[in-house]
Amino acid sequence: MHSLAMRWTRFRVKLAETPEAVALTSLIVVFTFFAVAAGNFLSSLALADIVTFGSIMGIIVIGVAMLMIAGEFDLSVGSNFAVASYVWADLMNAGVPPLLAMILAVLSSAILGAINGLVVIGSGLPSFIVTLGTMLAYRGIARAIGGSDFAKYTQSRPFLFDVLNGPITFLNRLFEGGTNFRVSIIWFVLIALLMAWVLNRTRFGNWVFAAGGNPGAALEQGVPVKRVKLTAFILVGVLVGLASVMQFAHRTSVDPVRGEGWELIAVSACVIGGVHLTGGVGTILGACLGMLLLTTLETGLVLMGVSVQIFRAVAGIFLILAVLLNTYLSRGE
Amino acid sequence: MSGNGTDTPVVHMEKIVKRFGTITALNQVDFTVNRQEIVGLLGDNGAGKSTLIKVLTGVYPPTSGKIYFEGKLVNITSPRIARALGIETCYQDLALVPHMSITRNFFLGRELTRHLGPIHWLDLHQMDKESRDALRNIGIHIRSPREKVGKLSGGERQSIAIGRAQYFGAKLLILDEPTSALSVGETHKVLTYTLAAKERGLSVIFITHNVGHVYQVADRFVILRHGELVGSYPKEEVTEKDIASLITGERER
Repeated sequence: MHSLAMRWTRFRVKLAETPEAVALTSLIVVFTFFAVAAGNFLSSLALADIVTFGSIMGIIVIGVAMLMIAGEFDLSVGSNFAVASYVWADLMNAGVPPLLAMILAVLSSAILGAINGLVVIGSGLPSFIVTLGTMLAYRGIARAIGGSDFAKYTQSRPFLFDVLNGPITFLNRLFEGGTNFRVSIIWFVLIALLMAWVLNRTRFGNWVFAAGGNPGAALEQGVPVKRVKLTAFILVGVLVGLASVMQFAHRTSVDPVRGEGWELIAVSACVIGGVHLTGGVGTILGACLGMLLLTTLETGLVLMGVSVQIFRAVAGIFLILAVLLNTYLSRGE
Repeated sequence: MSGNGTDTPVVHMEKIVKRFGTITALNQVDFTVNRQEIVGLLGDNGAGKSTLIKVLTGVYPPTSGKIYFEGKLVNITSPRIARALGIETCYQDLALVPHMSITRNFFLGRELTRHLGPIHWLDLHQMDKESRDALRNIGIHIRSPREKVGKLSGGERQSIAIGRAQYFGAKLLILDEPTSALSVGETHKVLTYTLAAKERGLSVIFITHNVGHVYQVADRFVILRHGELVGSYPKEEVTEKDIASLITGERER
C-alpha cells in the first residue's frame, strides 16, 4: 500500500513536469465522449470544422501563450483581430493590391501589439488592465473603420486567398462531400513548430521564460527584460494579424463583433494547457491542446443539439477543473 | 594582503554620500576591499549596507564620492558596467529563475549559441557540459544540469550562483545575506564555497546580519550604523561579541 502511494507520488511529479498532460488527457476523454454521444461527431465534416476553426484560434493562442510565459497578458487580441480584417477589406476594396494590403493589415496589428507593450512597459501598469483598456479602444477602431457594418470583399478571389486559406482539395476529395480541411491548418502547424523551437532552442526563448519566471533575476543577468516583453507583445500582434487575414481569406467578410470574447477563450486554452497565469511556465503544445479541447467541446455540443450558450458554461467548468488538476499535480514540486 | 605583488585594492570607495530627498542614507562612507580578501559588511536594518552595495553595483548613482576599481577611477552608472568590470552580485531571491534548468540559469544572458547563416540557436549540449564541469571544478556536484533550480535546496542554489559568478570571471563577488534562511549544514556548505572562491583569487563582500556566520570566513569586518561608517576591524582585533555590540551601538568604535 505504501509503495503504491509512493509510486503515485512519483508519477504525479512526472506528470507535473509535463504541463500538457492534463490538456491531452482531457482532450482524449472529451473526444471519446462525443464520439460515443454525438451521432455525427466522428464524421470528416465535423473533424474538419474543428481543426479549421481551431487553427485560426490556435495561431492567436500561440502568441498569447508566449506572452503569458513572458509574464504578460493581451486581452485585446479579439479586437485587434477585427481591426486587421477591416483594414485588409477596406484597402482591397479601395484598389490596393491584395498582397500589399495584407502586409499593411498585419502591420497594423503589429503596431497595435506594440502600443500594448509600450504602454505596459512605460506606465508600469499590469498588462491585464492596459489591454483591457485597449480591448475596448481597438474594438472602437474596428467599428470606426467599418462604420459599424460588415465589410465584404466581392471581387474575384485572388490567388493569395488560396495560399492563405484555400481548401486542401486533394485531402477533401478523400472524404465525403462538403468536407472542408483548409490551408490554415498547415500554417497553424508550421507556426506552432516554429514558435515551440523559438521558445525552447533560442536565446530569445530563454529570455522569455526568464522574464516571466523571475524578472529581477533576469535583469541581474543582463537580460533586457523590457525589450523581450515588447517583442512578445509585437509578436502577438503579428500572429493575430496573420490569423485574421487567414480567416478573411476564407470567409471574405468581417462583422463588427468578430473576435469578441476570444481573448478569454485564448487565455483559457493556455491555462488548460498548463501555462501559468504568473508567467515563466508553459508550452506551445499544451496551449494548442487546450485550444483543440475547447474547439472540440464547442463542435461536439453543437452536434448534440445543445445550445451554443451552454458551451461557455461547459468551457468554464473545464477551465476550473484543469487548473485544479494542474495545481494538484504540481504540489509535488 | 595577498601575495601577488600588488597592494592596489580591488575596490576603494571614498567619501560616499547618498541622499534620497532629505534623507541621508550614506554619509561620507569609506569602504575598501583588498585582493583575495573576504570582507564582512555588517549593520542593522537601515544601516546603509544595501545602499552602499547598490552604489557600487550601479543601481544608485552616489550623490557624491569616488569609486576606484583596481586603482582606476570609475563611473559605474549601471549594473551592466559593474558586471563588465568583474563585480558580480548574488542576491538571495534575485539570483536564479526557479522554473528553469541549472544550465539555462547558469548561462542566462550569456547563452552559447550555434548558427547557420543568420539563424542562431542554443548549444544546449555544450552549455550542459560546461555548466556541469564548471560547477564540479569548484567542488559543486549536481545530479543533472537539466534539473530545475526550484527543486534544489537553498544552499545548492547559492552555490550555483557563486559558481556561475566565478565561471564568468568575477573579480569581486558580493554575497547578499547568503546564509539567511539556510539550515546549519547548508550554511556550512555556502561558507565553504565562499572560502574556496577566495582561494581561487576572488575578493568577496559578505553582507549579513549574522555575525556568527561571517566571523567564520571573513578577514575583516566593516560596520555601518545609521548610514555612517563605525569602523573597519581586522579579525585579529575583534571578537564576535565586539562586533555585535558595535553593530547595535552599545560600544562606540
